[in-house]
Amino acid sequence: MRRCLRALAVLLGVSLATFAVGHATGDPVALLVSPSASQAARAQMRSHLGLDRPLLRQYLTFLGHAVQGDFGQSFIYRQSVFSLVMARLPATLLLAGTAFAIALLIGIPLGVLAAARGGAAAAALQVFSMVGLAIPSFWLGLMLVLVFAVELRLLPVDGFGGTALILPSITLSLQSIARLGRLVMSGMTQALRADYIRTARAKGLSEARIVWVHALRNVLVPVVTMAGLELGDLISSAVVVEVVFAWPGIGRLAVTALGERDFPLLQGTVFMAGLGFVLINLAVDTLCTRIDPRMRRR
Amino acid sequence: MKPKPGHTKVFWFFFSKKNKTEASSFVPGALGAVLFALVALCAIAAPVIAPYKPTTIELRQRLMPPAWEAAGSSRHLLGTDNVGRDLFSRIVWGARISLSVGLAAAFLGAVIGSALGLCAGYFGGAVDTVISWLIEVQLAFPFTLFAIFLLAAFGGGFLPVVCVLALATWVNYARVVRGQALSLRSQDFILAAQSVGVGPARLLRRYLLPSVLPSIVVVGSFSAAQAILTEAALSFLGVGVDPTIPSWGAMLNLGRNYVQSAWWMAIFPGIAIAMTVLGVNLLGDWLGARLDPRAR
Amino acid sequence: MSRLPILLSRREFGAGAAALAVLPAAAPTRPVVVASDEDVTTLDPHLIRNNHPIGSIIWSVFDSLVRRRPDGTHEPRLALGWEQPTADTWRFHLRPGVRFQNGELFDAPAVVVSINRMNVSPFNGESQLWQQTNLRQVTAIDPLTVEFTTDGPAVTMLYWLEEAFIAPPRYLAETSPTLVGAHPIGSGPYRFVEWVQGDHVTLAAYDAHWAGPPPIRDVVFRAVPEQSSRLNELRAGSVDFVPGLDPDSESSAASALSHAIQVPGLRKMHMGFSQAGITPLRDRGVRQAINHAVDVATMIETLQRGMATPLTSVVNPPNNDPSLRRFAYDPALASALLRKAGHEGFAVEIAFDSKYADALESCEVVAAYLGAVGLLANVVAYESGHFAETLRARAFPGLYFYGFGALIEPLVELVIFTSDAVDNAGAYSNPAFDRLVKKAAVTPDETARSTLLRDAERLVWEDCPWLYLWHLPEINGISKRLLYRPRADEYVELYQAKLATS
Repeated sequence: MRRCLRALAVLLGVSLATFAVGHATGDPVALLVSPSASQAARAQMRSHLGLDRPLLRQYLTFLGHAVQGDFGQSFIYRQSVFSLVMARLPATLLLAGTAFAIALLIGIPLGVLAAARGGAAAAALQVFSMVGLAIPSFWLGLMLVLVFAVELRLLPVDGFGGTALILPSITLSLQSIARLGRLVMSGMTQALRADYIRTARAKGLSEARIVWVHALRNVLVPVVTMAGLELGDLISSAVVVEVVFAWPGIGRLAVTALGERDFPLLQGTVFMAGLGFVLINLAVDTLCTRIDPRMRRR
Repeated sequence: MKPKPGHTKVFWFFFSKKNKTEASSFVPGALGAVLFALVALCAIAAPVIAPYKPTTIELRQRLMPPAWEAAGSSRHLLGTDNVGRDLFSRIVWGARISLSVGLAAAFLGAVIGSALGLCAGYFGGAVDTVISWLIEVQLAFPFTLFAIFLLAAFGGGFLPVVCVLALATWVNYARVVRGQALSLRSQDFILAAQSVGVGPARLLRRYLLPSVLPSIVVVGSFSAAQAILTEAALSFLGVGVDPTIPSWGAMLNLGRNYVQSAWWMAIFPGIAIAMTVLGVNLLGDWLGARLDPRAR
Repeated sequence: MSRLPILLSRREFGAGAAALAVLPAAAPTRPVVVASDEDVTTLDPHLIRNNHPIGSIIWSVFDSLVRRRPDGTHEPRLALGWEQPTADTWRFHLRPGVRFQNGELFDAPAVVVSINRMNVSPFNGESQLWQQTNLRQVTAIDPLTVEFTTDGPAVTMLYWLEEAFIAPPRYLAETSPTLVGAHPIGSGPYRFVEWVQGDHVTLAAYDAHWAGPPPIRDVVFRAVPEQSSRLNELRAGSVDFVPGLDPDSESSAASALSHAIQVPGLRKMHMGFSQAGITPLRDRGVRQAINHAVDVATMIETLQRGMATPLTSVVNPPNNDPSLRRFAYDPALASALLRKAGHEGFAVEIAFDSKYADALESCEVVAAYLGAVGLLANVVAYESGHFAETLRARAFPGLYFYGFGALIEPLVELVIFTSDAVDNAGAYSNPAFDRLVKKAAVTPDETARSTLLRDAERLVWEDCPWLYLWHLPEINGISKRLLYRPRADEYVELYQAKLATS
């Protein structure tokens, strides 16, 4: 319950910040009319959009509507912001989700293997993850496009759909793989040194079982916590990758909204993304408590 | 280990063999130091190292490939960009921007984050609640979106970008420092100082701060790396530091239109960024290993 | 060991048989795909924000009374003929038997509804018909005749009607504006099929169009933001038409399946001098000096790979005065002129809209040339909205990089330089010029008007309200299966295109 209240407080902060910044960006009317439009047309547009009411009124109205899922109409698309975001959200979720799955499927086993084998494997993972964290994701995207799409003609350059998902999700997943791999490796290294592991070995359990079942279980909590954060991070980093690969998700929508100073659309996107994060964190917290009862007594 | 005076103590602390956790952590650390030194050298000695000014336009030399290609020339080692500027020179000069943005952002973030973290950890109560709330709100934001939001509002440019990047990183410091402050405030030397009547400001500055300083330094190195990467991303999206100064991110943004025809414009700035971030991260890792209280 | 040539291997035989089977049957043709960098934001016919892709789609789905041919003359579309009974009125005779794509009948009252719609917010923000022609009212005289009444003679009525698209009145009345923009219904050669946001718009041939169905049955307009992606898809054959290429990419458009077509462009690229900004720019000598300081020819040769044509007037061909001479590249003369004007070594800002990738390079080059004659030029990127705002407010401090008017209509091209014109972003003000243009605007006689306009053209050319650059080359990547001659004004008219019969 307390957690829910905290989440609500956070959401309030998110809405405040979104609203406040949104109104510091300047005059949106300039962008919605052609540069040759008359003053009268602009004034009409201004009142049509409710921009001449006092700020506090505007915020409260915004908040009231937000809880009903009404973020107003996009200036450029002239459709409800909510429907625009919901239309593009699946694409971003698909991208982030695929990247997340790749990160889990590759990062965790890599970390486990590196910890179990030690020595050269561990060093290799360290190197790989350090390099992976240093490479800017959009640069990697451009390079992958250059190699796989342009030179080798194996994959599509951009667009939406099955094969077009491969390059962007790989690009997006790299940093998560690096972080997860390192976390799992360090956690597993420590876990494998514990007493009960030695006992298990003495008892004659197979090495594979020891590593993958007993040791891994102890690393689960921090991994799940970080995994939850990673998912949120992925959705955020997806913005740049979406731009490079022209993936029709909310990241690209937001960048378009930004260029055109589409207040409602921008506010709505950032707010809903914030809402998503809060929910994910809430879910992760709850999950952690389930896995490890020790966390309940915080 | 014999106590040594002042700054030399710090120096030996870092380099004394007795304080190493694993021999293998030295090599990556050294590599990081080398990479970072290379980049720092470029930044500091740019006028000496770079054969051309980064803004010298030679229209008839535009889009020349690197020297080792057929159409290249030895006058332009890494080729030229779309208005004939020497790419190598621009990359060398670009180190100044990237490093100064990264370090400034890390520093500003450190100041803000540590201050807030210390207050939250030490005073607790309402102060802690408010600051923790701020931290959570910040973490709830999809940062890249928010950064674009802010920068479009206040324009690009060095100062706004540094502020936005500091905004990205202050949370890292705040959380770590807060945690440490929380555990430190019940320690003997703090309680002793309080009973003697030392005021909170002095307590924070003279007693708590030095203890959390090592953590701040470690977080600082990662924050600097993060800031450099984020600056590049922001420039790439078009809302970074002025597009007319050669920041590596801006060069990547420019090069993206020429990926097929002039690949060198995009590849080399990217390599520069990766090298710098890698170097700083390696250094940070090494610092973290050495400053880890558990290893002492 | 030799084999008799008539003995085919089993695989070769199979392949051959398959090929034979395909030949006589007419294979269903793939839709023609047009790629563009901007997304479609709305398909409301009175809210056209860009020439392509929105303008192109609107021009396919809707009709207007008249249409501008590539050479600037007017083609009757929904109107068969027109006349001016008095100087203040225009009368149009409408084409009979035209039906909108939803079955509604096209008639004079429908025209009235659409034209009136263009006068209310938010449509009057984009459509300038009413303001520019001083339109007072539009009435249906009989089911097939419509009359426009203006305040004073409106000599450019035809020009402004080119984009006055007519939509079915009952559909407009019964449908929310959001839906009208999301599901357009007109009377044009293509009907709307679907719009997947952020991805593509699909159109299909309208068989009951008054000119008959267009040769190409299915068209898809796709949003592909990265130019390298557009080129890749063109070369691979998944996209058939890529407008708006820059000279550096022109060679990348060639492949086994595609090539580049270039037509002389009409968009006039220039750096406007803001005369409401720093003092030196108010001096004609300074402006002329700057025109002499920049080597436009070399810029065209290098940056534009020789594909652009330098500006020789503020009026587009074929209506320009060919006797106007360009300002030759002469840095010595430029310095002398600056010295004579008493303005040397001053600082000047060059602003550009950061949305346009190639704007930066042109600005940087101009800054370098200005630097060579002692001026301290500083290039500043403006975010798109801010740029538009500043343009409107005439608030640039120095120079601004802009491309105006891919159109053919001298009066419209010159009116932007009149003191009170809304688009007069440089605040150029010359009373003699104003008089000439205002008089021409109310002169119905073609010859008299042309003379007045020529005088005005000459006057403003020497006065240098701009640093004259070039006409933006219209370079299009086009697949070899598409036969289409692109327009110079950036609109894509696919109903004029045909598929190559192989």
